[in-house]
Amino acid sequence: MSVIQELSCALPKGIVITGEENTRPFECDGLSVYRQKPLAVVLPENVEQIKQTLKICKANNTPVVTRGAGTGLAGGAMPLEQSIVLGLSKLNQVKSIDVENQLAIVEPGVRNIAISEAVAQYGLYYAPDPSSQIACTIGGNVAENSGGVHCLKYGLTVHNIESLTMLTMDGEELTLSRQDDGMGLLALMNGSEGLLGIITEITVKLTPTPQLARVVMAAYDSVRDCANAVADIIKAGIIPAGLEMMDKFAIEAAEGFAGVGYPLNAQALLLCELDGTQDQVQAELDSVLKVLAGASTLKVSESEEERLNLWKGRKSAFPAVGRLSPDYYCMDGTIPRRHLADMLEKINKLSQKYQLRVANVFHAGDGNLHPLILYDANIDGELEKTEEFGTDILKLSVDMGGTITGEHGVGVEKLNAMCHQFNSKELEIFHKIKQAFDPGSLLNPGKAVP
Amino acid sequence: MTDRIEQLQTLVQTSQSLHVSGELLDYAGVVEYYPEELVMTVKAGTSVAEVKKQLKKNKQSLAFYTEDDSDTIGAVYANGAQDISDSVLGVQIIDGTGELLNFGGQVMKNVAGYDVARLLVGSKGKLAMVTQISFKVLPSTYVGELNAPVKSDKASVLRDEIEQKLKSVFDPHNKFN
Repeated sequence: MSVIQELSCALPKGIVITGEENTRPFECDGLSVYRQKPLAVVLPENVEQIKQTLKICKANNTPVVTRGAGTGLAGGAMPLEQSIVLGLSKLNQVKSIDVENQLAIVEPGVRNIAISEAVAQYGLYYAPDPSSQIACTIGGNVAENSGGVHCLKYGLTVHNIESLTMLTMDGEELTLSRQDDGMGLLALMNGSEGLLGIITEITVKLTPTPQLARVVMAAYDSVRDCANAVADIIKAGIIPAGLEMMDKFAIEAAEGFAGVGYPLNAQALLLCELDGTQDQVQAELDSVLKVLAGASTLKVSESEEERLNLWKGRKSAFPAVGRLSPDYYCMDGTIPRRHLADMLEKINKLSQKYQLRVANVFHAGDGNLHPLILYDANIDGELEKTEEFGTDILKLSVDMGGTITGEHGVGVEKLNAMCHQFNSKELEIFHKIKQAFDPGSLLNPGKAVP
Repeated sequence: MTDRIEQLQTLVQTSQSLHVSGELLDYAGVVEYYPEELVMTVKAGTSVAEVKKQLKKNKQSLAFYTEDDSDTIGAVYANGAQDISDSVLGVQIIDGTGELLNFGGQVMKNVAGYDVARLLVGSKGKLAMVTQISFKVLPSTYVGELNAPVKSDKASVLRDEIEQKLKSVFDPHNKFN
């Protein structure tokens, strides 16, 4: 019997998806330039079915690519030719909420935003907010250690996970918790990109919803002044809830799309969100306005409606740029904040060299850059040129003391770039860590580590 | 300074058995500290007191509980739990074969490769000789009350097995104890 036949026999009807047309929706994740159809897609409804699937796959030496919502941007959930895809979207229950201890136990397929929705009635929310939060799943968030706009103040996924239960490729269950005495296995699982185990249950930490949030918009005539203002805010002892920066091209694109009142003559724009109690927000606001006094335009949201409106431009920046070009390629390097201005200058020079336009949208507060390189895949060689441009940006990020990926992960996309950041001995350690968990190399093999 | 690293590499290579401590390391001092980055990089033998002294000058603080200011940062890291790992951004280590390796870095967001910098928190010095640590710091006004973490030692055969395998990844000749 083939592995597909075995799976189909062992699992109830509708769990195993096969055939050209039916598996097509799973051929890629959010990075659609890389595509591959799997042998089959398995969509289990419970942990027992996951165990059965793993057992059959192990016996047949069939690789398993775990998938959440498929919103990843690095090809981490892209199938392999001889693999099955293990989609966990049906495990989508919030199992319990512990209001007093501000915890919720959830299945891996629960969408990020659905956690916040489920606990909103208690004045709580789940803080990490990747842009894809309406669709992406918490299991995928853990696998990628996802960030978002608010992680400057509230941390990444790893900071907001209390415990998790995982299955090894052997189907053995392991629960890892923040309280464990020993190695940091819980932290290791965050960002492990589906290479070490299958996460079946997660206890997330919840955060009290802030009483008030206000956003300051500051526009600058000089990119350098704007970038320096980012470091100055932190230097002034303020940690904003979010601190985002956009360059002229991104401002124009966002304003053209969302019409929220960004000044079109500015070279760079800063959005600085402050949250907390009335008093905290007022005190922070006073300090921030002093730091931003040199801005050419300065505006503070006076109502919740105005705040959301100012964010709308930033949040729609990616699709807005998408309107201006057939394709765009999103980079994810992170650099120390103090190098922001230099980095922007260097990206502009590269843009001229490669004759490709770039819109810069930054999580400036934590130095995480998302340059969007505009290209047209229908023009021969332009994708290759774009990837070369992207590689140059990532090399620069590493040279400046940063990293090739701040929150999107390595997947298949950044395998080459990994070699700029790590030497062969360090990469060897990564491979051995995988072997310690998955000696047969059946969990998402070939991803994340070159 | 680099000389000391080379000496330590040689020490690891030529030793049968080592217990890493602040005295053994004899490697202390702040390597890099930019207050506006909210990041400090120190040699692992640096005392908690020295770190706090530097931070205080810029009205910044550690975001994790420390018991004794005379402890070294390396010891706090080796004996820590997730509350400390939440602040850790990067490490430089000498593995059991004497190789000098770097994991993580000095930026808040970094998902390149497995999070070895956080994996080694709580490893009690049994995986590698940690020589340098980068960690996040906060403006003092953002640090609430810090309490000693509650650790629970839930024995699990599978966990022990994985920890054993991970030890041999970093320390194949079983030198660190």
